[in-house]
Amino acid sequence: MALMSASNTDTPPAAADLPREGGARPRRPRRPIGRSSGSRPRTSRWVEASMVLPALVVFVGLLVVPVGYAVYYSFTDYNGFPTQTPEIVGFDNYVRLFESADVRGSMVVTAIVAVAGSMVINAAALGLALLLWRTTRFTAFARVVMFYPHVLSLIVVGFLWSAILGPQGAVNSLLESVGSSPLPFLSDETWALATLILVIAWAQFGVQLLIYLAGLQAVPAELLEASRMDGANRWQTFRHVTWPALAPSVTVALITSMISLIKTYDVVVSLTGGGPAGSTKTFAYQILAVEFPKRQVGLASAEAVVLILVAAILAFGVLALRRRHDQGVQE
Amino acid sequence: MSALRALTGRRSLTGERRTPAWYAAVTALCLFMLVPMYLLVVNAFKDQRDIVSRPFSLSPGQFTLEHLVAAWNNPDFDIAFGYAVTIGLVICVNIVSIGVCAPAAYVIARSPRPVFGAALLFFISGMFIPTQVILVPVIFVLRALGLMSTFPGLVLFMASATVPFTIFVFTGFIRMLPASLDEAAAIDGAGPYRTLWTIILPLMKPIVATVFILNTLSVWNDFASPQLILGPGSGLYTVTTGVYASVGEYSADYTQVFPTLLLAVLPILVIFVLTQRWVMSGLAAGAVKG
Repeated sequence: MALMSASNTDTPPAAADLPREGGARPRRPRRPIGRSSGSRPRTSRWVEASMVLPALVVFVGLLVVPVGYAVYYSFTDYNGFPTQTPEIVGFDNYVRLFESADVRGSMVVTAIVAVAGSMVINAAALGLALLLWRTTRFTAFARVVMFYPHVLSLIVVGFLWSAILGPQGAVNSLLESVGSSPLPFLSDETWALATLILVIAWAQFGVQLLIYLAGLQAVPAELLEASRMDGANRWQTFRHVTWPALAPSVTVALITSMISLIKTYDVVVSLTGGGPAGSTKTFAYQILAVEFPKRQVGLASAEAVVLILVAAILAFGVLALRRRHDQGVQE
Repeated sequence: MSALRALTGRRSLTGERRTPAWYAAVTALCLFMLVPMYLLVVNAFKDQRDIVSRPFSLSPGQFTLEHLVAAWNNPDFDIAFGYAVTIGLVICVNIVSIGVCAPAAYVIARSPRPVFGAALLFFISGMFIPTQVILVPVIFVLRALGLMSTFPGLVLFMASATVPFTIFVFTGFIRMLPASLDEAAAIDGAGPYRTLWTIILPLMKPIVATVFILNTLSVWNDFASPQLILGPGSGLYTVTTGVYASVGEYSADYTQVFPTLLLAVLPILVIFVLTQRWVMSGLAAGAVKG
């Protein structure tokens, strides 16, 4: 009991990984075993429970229970009608999910969007953070300009870009006026996927830019100064001073961008509608716009479970990698 | 810092100079980011033929307000109503989220009972649930509660999606506040609710502001939840679902697309520009959410 209460005061596992202060934080000394809460008068457990309960009810009722239902429905043939009693069909939905070329295609699209998108987003964000490192009035203005698409909802961003890049859109009309042939931004399968990724990157890299700008604050100025004195060129300074100090930010920026990219849905709805020929149909789009309207609740739930697992593996896997990396650095 | 800058003159800490090439590059990138916004603004005032043939042209003489007025008076999508619903959602979700999370985080941060340590892990584990993909089972839960297609149902779901992150950062913040504050209050006879309200909450302003900004942006931009939970039967729509309903079918008619999109983004852009310092520093503080 005393031991457990001591571990209770430690930072939670995830918290230790977040680059709050940029560096390692000294751990709080553990309380001596046997003295649980010092001299502080104890609050009644009922009062404490009453303070936690509302959050617990909201969280469990609308997040945990639905996840539980998703797991349950994923093993049934439920079609969503209240009159139908779901019948257990074992792993049928999961088998169907991996056998269907349609669903497999949407998984591939999502993987491409997540990997390529996070590469583009992080490259753009890191590059711009380095360009806009120092705070002046001009860079402050530039940061706002880089960030503003983030406050436009993706549904608006998708419609806007489809009006710009469509067959009759602004870019193609410009190309025509200079005598070149129009480009199939949204009508060719490969082009459409690339367009989707770049539009998402345009709209979403602002958060990662902020993460890198915050991370750059942790780069020790003395080291930069010293490396310059020692005659290091710009690349050497970046490679040996800036990059190591940025490592935690890179991890966080990569996780956050990937986790948000595997959920890509809105922008597909407004930019491409999943087309042409399903080439931009993401997994979330498959769940919400294809399976659910067809009332294939069992299949949609199996897909939701797969996506939740992937998100969890991604988050915890990358966090674990970083922890190992940090320990390796310390030893 | 300023002394260092004085020593290094025009050179920044990275050692690079603010050369004309640097200014040119940053300016070009800014222009690239702003091109879509420019097209959105100028084309909202043009005719279809003008948009298609000369989308980049800026000729105020030929501007017409006709299509903007038509978009504003669109019977299918009352933009003011969409804004009212969305702002209502933002306010209610923030009240519910912060209202339920502050007391929970306070107990988790301060109570020595191990069960609350477990509760924190339980809450945190919800942080990585991609909320829009569980919308299908959420619909069944809301239906069972009689809250499907209602405003409170949507508020509750959106608030629940914010609970894990909010409790996580609130708990971390309260743990950094000295426990002697609570002890002094307790000795003076204040119960935990009172201590939270009069002592802890006022000190939590910065973290509450961060959470408020993050919640606001995610509620504002959410499309999937209002689309599926409110549905067409409720008669309610947000800015995002309203834009989808009115632009989605007519996306080839640019005289409808551009004015509608412009009206939909203008207020939020104005709000953003006025509050950008606050929004961006708040987001940087909480950027771990993604």
